[in-house]
Amino acid sequence: MVDTTRRGFIVGCSAAIAAMAGSRLTYAAFGDPDGSREVLVVVFLRGGADLLSLVAPIAGPDRSLYEAARPELRLPTSGDGALLPLDAQFGLHAAAAPLHTLFQSGKVAIVHGCGMNVDTRSHFDAQEFMELGTPGTRSVSTGWLTRLLGSAPAPASAALMPSLAVGNSQPTSLLGDRRTVSMDSPGDFNISTGPWMWRDAQRLALHRLYTRGDTAVHRAGIQAMNAMDLVEAFAGDDVPAANGAVYPDSDFGRHMRLIAQMIKLDVGLRAVAVDLGGWDTHENEAYGAGGYFADLAGNLSQATAALYQDLDGSATDAASKRLTVVVMSEFGRRVRENAARGTDHGHGFPIVVVGGSVIGGLHGVWPGLAPDQLYDGADVAVTTDYRRVLADIVVRRFANPHLSQVFPGYTGYTPLGIVAGTDLITL
Amino acid sequence: MRRAGRAPSPTIEPATLAERLRRTRELVAAPRIARDSGPAPDPALVSARLAALSVRPRVRLRWSPVEAADVAPFAIRVLGRMGFGPRPGDIEAFNALAGSDSARLGAYIEEQLFPDSINDGDLDNRLVAAGLTTLAKTRDKLWADHVAGNPDWYVRLLPAIEIERAAFLRAIYSRRQLFEVLADFWHDHFNVYGWDYISAPTWVYYDRDVIRANVLGNFRTMLGLVAASPAMMVYLNTDANTVAGPNENYARELCELHTLGAENYLGVVHQDQVPHDAQGRPIGYADDDVYEITRCFTGWTLDEDTGATIFRTDRHDRFQKHVLGRYIAASQAPFKDGNDVLDSLASHPGTARFIARKLCRRLIGDEPPQRVVDEAAAAFAATVNAPDQLRQVVRAILLSEEFATTWAAKVKRPFEVVVSALRAAGAEISFALNSHLTDSFFWLFEATGHAKFSWRPPNGYPDAMNEWLSTATLVPTWRVVNWTIWASDEQRGNVPVVDLIHQSPAGVTTARGLADFWIQRILGRPMSESARTEVIEFLAQGRNPDVPLHLSDDDVESRLYAMAALIAMAPQFLWR
Repeated sequence: MVDTTRRGFIVGCSAAIAAMAGSRLTYAAFGDPDGSREVLVVVFLRGGADLLSLVAPIAGPDRSLYEAARPELRLPTSGDGALLPLDAQFGLHAAAAPLHTLFQSGKVAIVHGCGMNVDTRSHFDAQEFMELGTPGTRSVSTGWLTRLLGSAPAPASAALMPSLAVGNSQPTSLLGDRRTVSMDSPGDFNISTGPWMWRDAQRLALHRLYTRGDTAVHRAGIQAMNAMDLVEAFAGDDVPAANGAVYPDSDFGRHMRLIAQMIKLDVGLRAVAVDLGGWDTHENEAYGAGGYFADLAGNLSQATAALYQDLDGSATDAASKRLTVVVMSEFGRRVRENAARGTDHGHGFPIVVVGGSVIGGLHGVWPGLAPDQLYDGADVAVTTDYRRVLADIVVRRFANPHLSQVFPGYTGYTPLGIVAGTDLITL
Repeated sequence: MRRAGRAPSPTIEPATLAERLRRTRELVAAPRIARDSGPAPDPALVSARLAALSVRPRVRLRWSPVEAADVAPFAIRVLGRMGFGPRPGDIEAFNALAGSDSARLGAYIEEQLFPDSINDGDLDNRLVAAGLTTLAKTRDKLWADHVAGNPDWYVRLLPAIEIERAAFLRAIYSRRQLFEVLADFWHDHFNVYGWDYISAPTWVYYDRDVIRANVLGNFRTMLGLVAASPAMMVYLNTDANTVAGPNENYARELCELHTLGAENYLGVVHQDQVPHDAQGRPIGYADDDVYEITRCFTGWTLDEDTGATIFRTDRHDRFQKHVLGRYIAASQAPFKDGNDVLDSLASHPGTARFIARKLCRRLIGDEPPQRVVDEAAAAFAATVNAPDQLRQVVRAILLSEEFATTWAAKVKRPFEVVVSALRAAGAEISFALNSHLTDSFFWLFEATGHAKFSWRPPNGYPDAMNEWLSTATLVPTWRVVNWTIWASDEQRGNVPVVDLIHQSPAGVTTARGLADFWIQRILGRPMSESARTEVIEFLAQGRNPDVPLHLSDDDVESRLYAMAALIAMAPQFLWR
């Protein structure tokens, strides 16, 4: 049970929080009872992740091609650090064992050969295009998650926290969504650093100053103070994880734990963007199944599995059932390793989807590693537009048919079948 | 109780101020002549520009989203964009420069464009007092002391730690404010993550000889020094780029971030498909250009013993290349392929536009009008070979109508919020090594997402309000402001960072009077009546705001500090 005496309530800066206190924890009222309670967590692997090292061939001609292209970085199929089989043809990096366990229970979908059909190997172009949801053009001023929320058939108008960005900057996928709450660590999420005696009075006065106007600065300030109240009341390291979930002792682990806490609050959270950086592995990427990449993959895998487990109670309305996690990057990396035990910028990559409504297994079309199958003679090709993966979630989980708004310019969508749900006539 | 001692109020020394005013008046009066380098700006052009500014009737501010009552006075608008906001006395000094806003601006620009002529003795003393020991070391010496022999991690990091402290001291205390704003700009432009294995020990060199030495100099010169610097060569893998294992990281960011910009990137097309401009050069770059540039820079690497930039012929791809419509012959002299590429890029009109737009975005507003961008780009292109190219570009921007008439088209980023708050509040903070206060400050500041030299991707910290007006930025920034204004230095006899008591005028003792004084001091202007009332009521705490307060009472004293921080956290303080 949440401790209602925590300071956030007493300060009472936010009308919404005060109302919540008055109603004694019926905070679900600040969710959106009429709308979908689905929540999408987008994990963006910044830097262009070498996901050929996460999902690698274990047999057949592609295995030979893979081994030839990666004499230093190739992952073994037996012995220490052997790839964990997903099917007869592909295996998961040994450091991603928690994800493999979830895969075996049917909660993980992996889509081969995802990406954009745009010729760029620039991190910044690719990230921006992906997060805007408009490959090749910057003509929109909102992110795709912003438009997912904005075009929802039942808008989350009453929700206190419809979107959350974890980390320090507003991700482009939530560009233009002024209701996005951004935060890093719940314990430091307050302004109680001045004279102790006046901290509540000062915060109240600051709140009032930000109500004396309606500029972008005023609005951002009010939102920050509302978010402080909520987090101070309901989140923190002293709020235990459920179902035996164990988060890794890393920033990303803490971020995923915070996301679980916010989802449990049921305050209308629908879209979460969280970053895991450090994937631009031009040098010293790995030593076999160990080294830098293994640390990244382990951190990703443990934290993602812990988030799922934390929300996966025995109750029929367990939050895991309405959770979908999408793990993506801006592009994959070159098939052939470089001379510095690293890989350079590439093209296609697998998208990993985790959640209670996922149709587990390997999806999409494996593009192959033969020279004539590679993009530009060097990279894993793109066989599935990344928007098709996301569109499945938009339509089937969020029951939102407005694909032309969420992804302007995207045509020809047909269901891929990575999550359960109803196929609507899309607009 | 909390404080054992009181620091004297920091003030501007009258002699220094008088000297500064005298010099700037001379600047206005005298015909502008080149001081150290480069051709002088056309005096007729400058006069015409200033005349145009002065005859314009009360100009309407562009894109001002704030209520009209909150448009800042001219001095605040200038000092907040050509610098990090006023310290006590700066507004009065600016207004005393001349008889009209345009003449004051002209005088201030010409003063600030020649930083060497501005006495910065106070800052110099503070840098010494902070105990910084690496700032004068040469590149060779830095390598010998902080890289060679693989010393402890702290020794390795020390040059970066000292530059971080120096960056705060300079921004807060330097009188060369424009120079500091531009140094910050160029660090963002040529971003390197400064806390790494090679960047940290050589950071003094990168900051001093690569960036700061060329802030008002020539772009091509800075570009070349960046390319050959240990920090950038390791950050973007130039040192590992060989004919046997090409690494395109530097080549790509060189085009996309350092020179032409993504706006001139044409994607995966063949070079012969790229259209040419009237002068016959390709309008932008394609992926093939990136690969060819990668080849040009093969062989550039570092001598592991000395840190010198060396050329390894055995690692160089010696065959001919084709870059941006230019053939580069086979087997050129060492470094010449790369330098040819830098020449082409630095003189390309796309680079002029890209750099001009970024400078306008920093100095004017998030979405600078095309007219001033074009004007700045023209200045850039016309002075490609001038030793003071960037001074002339910056002058063109600052003398524009757009600069003079813009307000609130931009917000302060966390560094600017904190520095400007400490300047306005008359803070005395040493940023000394081995200071708990300094360590706590940096620990708190890091959470703002704007710690110095800590942006990992090569595009540098974002420079638009969308990126910073978020909960994740505001909360930690408020935490730093609230903490620092109230902090005192235990290791120096509990001296307060900001001495509000002694800076408050002797006769001002009521809540209303103190609120008005500190609003004016911190914001440089009054607040709207409704906002002002909130501040007064906070300090009065239910009592008559016109009754004198006893500042010696701990609770009154701490409330005054909380009020000052409240003003520095207010929405009005965030605009630039």
